[in-house]
Amino acid sequence: MNILFILIPLALIILGGAVWAFFWAVGAGQFDDLDTPAVRIIMDDDKKPPEKSEQ
Amino acid sequence: MSNDACFHCALPVERADEFQVEIEGELRPVCCPGCKAVAELIRDTGMSSYYAMREPPQPGAGKPADDAAEWQIYDRDDMLGAFAELADDQATATIYVGKMYCAACSWLIETALTRLPGIASAEVSPVTHRLRVSWYKQQQGLGRILATLASLGYDPQPLSPETTARPEIAEQRAALKRLLVASLGMMQVMMFAVGLYAGDFQGMEASMQYFLRLVSFVVTTPVVFYSARPFFAGAWRGIVSRMPGMDLPVSIAIAAAYTGSVYAMLTSGPAVWFDSVVMFVFFLTLGRFLEMRARHRSIDRSTALSTLLPNTVNKVDADGETTIPSSQLVSGDVLLVRPGESIAADGILIEGTTTLDEALLTGESEPLAKSAGDALIAGSINLDGLIRMRVEKTGSDTTLGAISRLSERARYARPAFVQTADRVASYIVIAILLIAVLVATSWYFIAPDRAFVITLSVLVVTCPCALALATPAAFATAGTRLSELHLLITNGNAIEAMSRARRILFDKTGTLTRGAPEITAIQVFDKARTEQQCLQIAAAIETVSTHPIAIAFSIAANEVVATDQRVAIGNGVAGTIDGQRWRLGRHAFATGDERDGDTLTTVYLATNNKLVARFDLNDEIRPGAMATLAELRSLGLRPALVSGDNAAAVQRVAGILDIDDYHSGCSPGDKLEIIRAAQNAGDTVIMVGDGINDAPVLAGADASVAPVHGALLAQTSADVILLGESLAPLVLGIRLARKTMRIVRQNLAWAVVYNAVALPLAAGGLVPPWAAAIGMSASSLIVVLNALRLSRFGAT
Repeated sequence: MNILFILIPLALIILGGAVWAFFWAVGAGQFDDLDTPAVRIIMDDDKKPPEKSEQ
Repeated sequence: MSNDACFHCALPVERADEFQVEIEGELRPVCCPGCKAVAELIRDTGMSSYYAMREPPQPGAGKPADDAAEWQIYDRDDMLGAFAELADDQATATIYVGKMYCAACSWLIETALTRLPGIASAEVSPVTHRLRVSWYKQQQGLGRILATLASLGYDPQPLSPETTARPEIAEQRAALKRLLVASLGMMQVMMFAVGLYAGDFQGMEASMQYFLRLVSFVVTTPVVFYSARPFFAGAWRGIVSRMPGMDLPVSIAIAAAYTGSVYAMLTSGPAVWFDSVVMFVFFLTLGRFLEMRARHRSIDRSTALSTLLPNTVNKVDADGETTIPSSQLVSGDVLLVRPGESIAADGILIEGTTTLDEALLTGESEPLAKSAGDALIAGSINLDGLIRMRVEKTGSDTTLGAISRLSERARYARPAFVQTADRVASYIVIAILLIAVLVATSWYFIAPDRAFVITLSVLVVTCPCALALATPAAFATAGTRLSELHLLITNGNAIEAMSRARRILFDKTGTLTRGAPEITAIQVFDKARTEQQCLQIAAAIETVSTHPIAIAFSIAANEVVATDQRVAIGNGVAGTIDGQRWRLGRHAFATGDERDGDTLTTVYLATNNKLVARFDLNDEIRPGAMATLAELRSLGLRPALVSGDNAAAVQRVAGILDIDDYHSGCSPGDKLEIIRAAQNAGDTVIMVGDGINDAPVLAGADASVAPVHGALLAQTSADVILLGESLAPLVLGIRLARKTMRIVRQNLAWAVVYNAVALPLAAGGLVPPWAAAIGMSASSLIVVLNALRLSRFGAT
């Protein structure tokens, strides 16, 4: 069980990393709009303009 | 898609072969050259998939404005300074995009803009209708960006930086961080707590126990000092102002449990309560976060205000006429206001005569005639005259600003139901701590070796999570479900009020009716003419007017052309067709013959004082209004009609819809009076209204509903926003609100019964800690699962 004396502090360090990453993401505005990205993914915006119809 | 609706804006098309656009290989009918141009632009730039992705538009959505505004003015340096944030070679502006209605619109706007040269980024939020665009100053200009938006059929409004400052974004970010720290902290500490409980049960080395308590302390500390800081701050404000709120008991509970645990840890005492602390903080923070998100969904006041006022004004001084940003207006300036423009500030008309549409402010649907010396209110629309005005009050000093402040205040002055549950939970936490101390001391004298295990069981078994979760879980689920049912809840209290409501008050204009008059009957007196001919003559004369009645006539397709048209304000219009003089309007105006009960809901067409035709105009009842009212009655709600319109119009609508309780000619004050009377009689009142004048009235009702196409300001003071055209979601909403309150009561009853049974058992030493832990988790789980039943409400 003594391994816990190493593993738990290790877990806390990783936890700290996760919190830092999340704070960075919030600060960068990643969570400001939670509604648009869900619908944006279904739009294809790589459609080419249609060929000019033959006259 | 039916053949007679415009492919772009869904308005009726008169002749299917008149304007057509080929999209995705098919010829589509459109209603006007404007829509044709927009549709062709969308097609030619390869964005046709917009039409496949968008939601079906409301008729008129996306129809381009007839008069092309002068956007070039926005390229000037002083305009750029007023609307954009400048940095090195880039400029960034926030633009409110009017007339956008779905996510496909935001895609269309972003795609169209990023194809322009010199655009650094463009992002649209379909929720707030705001576009944030950055561009390189050398290559692109604000005017060109606005013109592009206008050419796509939208109605762009650049917002000045003061109105775009968004404190709610900062608030949401801070709340998210607090929530995350609390939730991660809770998970970690609960894990350690399981270890500690297991150790209590099967024995554990003292060093390991101390270590687990120490790491629990390390993780709990930021949760208490960071996540729970708003509670301490709120408690302190309560003490300073001598009005302690619910934050005080919450803070005492958190502080007591935390310091007690730290003391127990340092002295190797019987138990620590770090897990209770983090869990309590987490659930409270979660409740607050959900409440905040709901609040932010409503559109902010500053935007509502600024979109009603013009961005630029024509200022007249010794040097002539100059265009300046409205934000630079000061009292005493003289402005030139052209027909169709809105009034930027409160002031006095000094030159010219005109009619003003003040419907948004006063609820008066007929335009008012104004001449020199009359007061003008900011936000009203100048319909037909070229006038000069002197500015007296600007910005938030105007009537419009005062109304918005009033509704804001009324909104914050209301009792908050959701907070009651938090307060009860925090009292229970204190009670639990006291009981735990009592149990510990009692057992210390009865059987000292069992005292600490039993105290532990008591603390675990009585954790108030189920109680703290009971209300927010049900409200959050109901809110999500309601938005799927086309009702956007902006205030949690509304659910509670809607469930109790006995009366529902409707404002006639725009809520029960469509809001635009239509010709319902034509009577021809001159045998030589047909209905169609009379309609064409009337339509030709009306082309000069922007009055709502003129719009009713504009439906008639016309080859007849009138000349020398004159608008007689408040009376009618006149025009010459093929040398013959025609008059259209009130009976007295058309024939020169005075008559009683003369209103503009009936207009007469005459030539040479001889009556030719009579047109009856009526505002059509909204489809489904009848069925909705019948269902509301079956739910036990008494509908009433409270309108600012004249008696005849209100009576007609009340008659059709079979409403026996109706009031006409009501000012906002009268409406508020009627609400107060009903409330004093003990009834909970729902108010459905859409105008700006309704804002204080909406705020005074127990629950208020505003349709999404109504005035922005009405939406800011409404608890519920009705998405879409139909009133039917109201019925579902009230039924869901009732079910929500039923579930909240079930949850609270369960939590109380569970605690009432478990507490004596645990205090009597009959519940081992592990059983207590299972009981507590199961209890919380039952509450959440019960709340989740709401998410399937109304699904077939």
